[in-house]
Amino acid sequence: MLEPLPAAQWNQTTAAHLLNRAGFGGSPQDVENLHKMGLDRAVSWFVDYERIPDDTPAPDWAVDLDPKLMALREAIRNAADPEAKRELQRQQNMTENTQMADLRYWWVRRMALGPRPFLEKMTLFWHGHFATSFEKVRTPYFLWFQNETFRQNATGNFNQLLIAVSEDPAMLRYLDGANSNKNKPNENFAREVMELFTLGEGHYTEQDIQQAAKAYTGWGIGPDKLHYEYHPKNHDDGPKTIFGQTGNYSGEEVLNMICAKPECAEFISKKLWRFFVQDQPPQPIIDALAAEFQKHNLDLKHLMNVIFRSKEFYAPEVIRAQIKSPVQWLIAATRQLQAALPTQPMTLVMLGSLGEELFQPPNVKGWDGGIAWITTNNLLDRYNFAAALVEGERVPLPNLKNRMKGIMNNLTEGGDLMEIPPTDVKSLFTPDQLNTGDHFLAAIQERFLNDTLKPQRLSSLQDFLKTRSPIEEADMRKAIRLLMSTPEYQLT
Amino acid sequence: MNPPLLTTRRDFLRTTLLGGALTWTVPSFVAQTFSALHAAADGSLTQIATGKDAPILVLIQLAGGNDGLNAVVPYTNDFYYKARPTIAIPADQALHLNDTLGLNPAIAGFKNLFDAGHLSVVNGVGYPNPNRSHFRATEIWQTASDEDKYLTDGWLGRYFDNACAGCDPTVAINIGPRLPQAFASHNPTGISLENPDSYRFMGAGQNDDEELAYRSMYATGHEDTGASGGSISMVSGTVTLQNGQSAVDFLERTAMDAQLSSDKIRAIAGKTKNNVVYPGSGLSRDLQLVARLIAGGLPTRIFYVSQGGYDTHTNQRGGQDGRLKELGDSVKAFTDDLTAMGMFDRVMIMTFSEFGRRVNENGSRGTDHGAAAPMFLVGSKIKSGLLGAEPSLAPADLKDGDIQFNTDFRSVYASILQNWLNTPSVPILGKQFDTLPIFG
Repeated sequence: MLEPLPAAQWNQTTAAHLLNRAGFGGSPQDVENLHKMGLDRAVSWFVDYERIPDDTPAPDWAVDLDPKLMALREAIRNAADPEAKRELQRQQNMTENTQMADLRYWWVRRMALGPRPFLEKMTLFWHGHFATSFEKVRTPYFLWFQNETFRQNATGNFNQLLIAVSEDPAMLRYLDGANSNKNKPNENFAREVMELFTLGEGHYTEQDIQQAAKAYTGWGIGPDKLHYEYHPKNHDDGPKTIFGQTGNYSGEEVLNMICAKPECAEFISKKLWRFFVQDQPPQPIIDALAAEFQKHNLDLKHLMNVIFRSKEFYAPEVIRAQIKSPVQWLIAATRQLQAALPTQPMTLVMLGSLGEELFQPPNVKGWDGGIAWITTNNLLDRYNFAAALVEGERVPLPNLKNRMKGIMNNLTEGGDLMEIPPTDVKSLFTPDQLNTGDHFLAAIQERFLNDTLKPQRLSSLQDFLKTRSPIEEADMRKAIRLLMSTPEYQLT
Repeated sequence: MNPPLLTTRRDFLRTTLLGGALTWTVPSFVAQTFSALHAAADGSLTQIATGKDAPILVLIQLAGGNDGLNAVVPYTNDFYYKARPTIAIPADQALHLNDTLGLNPAIAGFKNLFDAGHLSVVNGVGYPNPNRSHFRATEIWQTASDEDKYLTDGWLGRYFDNACAGCDPTVAINIGPRLPQAFASHNPTGISLENPDSYRFMGAGQNDDEELAYRSMYATGHEDTGASGGSISMVSGTVTLQNGQSAVDFLERTAMDAQLSSDKIRAIAGKTKNNVVYPGSGLSRDLQLVARLIAGGLPTRIFYVSQGGYDTHTNQRGGQDGRLKELGDSVKAFTDDLTAMGMFDRVMIMTFSEFGRRVNENGSRGTDHGAAAPMFLVGSKIKSGLLGAEPSLAPADLKDGDIQFNTDFRSVYASILQNWLNTPSVPILGKQFDTLPIFG
């Protein structure tokens, strides 16, 4: 179980699989580069990302005590006239929404173009695991800060990550920890941390939740409304009985007790396997993985190294059997098309429509993933967005008057922001790949699927290309778009 | 043979789809002008499917755990006021339903429906050994299972299996981004719909070759798509493929259902209109779309909409009252619209939530997860009134601080299955549950 893949099985297919799962996919050239490295170096290139410099700057507003934010808050506090106050609050709302759109796009760009794809994928995993939403958290700075916390602890020790995320303003606001009162503790965080973040349902009692809730009292947000702060006066330092043990536990001690339970190692191993490998993991694999994770003191980097080198990760039933998340779908598509990421508004509307609005998961459980990504409606959206990416799109601005026109022009910089150029097909393929329909079909299956289409869809595409000689560029784009409008393309 | 092609309107439709981009940062009415500008172009489509007379069930999920006590208020009960020193609804504000219970004033729309004889409140609904996890409790409601049984298919999925195997995918329509687990079944049925204008494959250019090729990829030669495919889950369900089916099977089935349903949906969306003004909320937009789909004569028996925001651990009055107002106002507008269409007699509405909340408020002016709570049933055929015993709030009668249930939620399901959808309930619910006198 979990033995390394034999060197003889490292080939284009397994290399492409690692590229898709540890990162966000890529072009045939990317696959070839990875293949040439060999398994060990290829895995290390992803996992030992510290060796690759990453100087991605933070969004310009994401600074501690941002002077603009502080000034606006001060102005709201001091506004005497209610109408003026409301206007300032509207301004604050607008600022928050704008910063949030900025943050979302900043992150997608970093995932798509940044130097450490695996680190970003792990960060995405933790965002879905420790789900918090802008809808309730509101302050974009909190969400950026939490995102950095995920990044800094992404492959460290799980226990440390858990404590860092729990004593953090975004989580304290999202699960009401900041409002918990030692006389009548709020149970929201106490429940979800065991049910969703560490142990899973059935491995604790209602009493464990109520007692643990007392231990977490005292965690709060400071008077500057920007930083975590411990409030000893609001901490219940009396005895609590949790998992049958009694003591005057602090919140951190309870989190340590949770992490020490074998169910925690199993829960996290299983969730990582589901995210990176397969939706329905066989129990023996999870048992082996959990044992390894526990033996290595919940060291995440070790676990990921084991996963990406294992034979099971490269099993035929695993390869190309995972439904792409919307983020994976979009980034992989732009990398395969060797095209720029669509503009901010277009990127965000695509991800939103497809069901993965970053920093706004549907609930504290995050995104379910797997087949839950797909509905009849958003499958059609995927097909139509594929058309925009391949064939190009320009969204004309509506004919607006006066003030609205100003807002709109501002937002779209006169309309350029709403344009995607058509794919330059000739730059992606060799003349030989372009010279017959069959060659072209083989080339696009290699580039976009690392696999072949099922017979009915393959023959539809053959028929489509057969009647065209010579094949015009527009026809090639249509063929690519049609290939992206298949069940096969939704898999990775 | 391929079905006849509808007009391709790439310029309008695709840009409408991406025009939604602007909602991210500008007021939504600006973005809506995109739809408005292009709506006129979207006429002249196929004829509407023939209307059917079968009864329709509209489910409204109140996600997060609706606090029953502040929705249906025991306004003469001292235990209630003692347990809720800061968040109780004052007795003189409750909209009285009888001598002891009244509605939260925010949900005045429901009081109108009650007075008109169209709303029934089922008190104290729950099940034995209630679970307080959002996700597990929702699964229990969606699958109609016992607390200790784990089912992957939903109660409506089993209804489809029993009552309409192999029927049109539009027999069940979920308005929203995730198909509810209630629809999951061995032969998955039902579609998800958010935006009817873009619910189609949009081809490029002046001719239809791209769309023809797309259709040929899914051509079956006959209407029946057979029984492939996998199960579907939702926000809080367990996501599993059933019977070892693969992701690609599931995708093929979904692609087929999308292809089969899209022509109908957009034909209807372009042809029908609402008769009343709805409030501008998310729930009301969803119900507005449901009304148009009903008017269009789809063969749909089940519609599913969801309203979130009921997980009120903190500052409950600020949160729940707003949600309840949205609920009451939206449902009132919806029933008015149906009445104007002459369709109200065909429709009943059921609300449900995964649990009620703790009787005692917590220290953050909110309430934590609890157990039993009331359900609302609305319809012209519904007998207005209160059903089920009013639960006791006396501390000795509570279990772990929570209200004990009097009526099993599956009794409500059984009543609807047998007396509204006219189908035997035992094969669907697995055993016999008493029915309630909910219809007049």
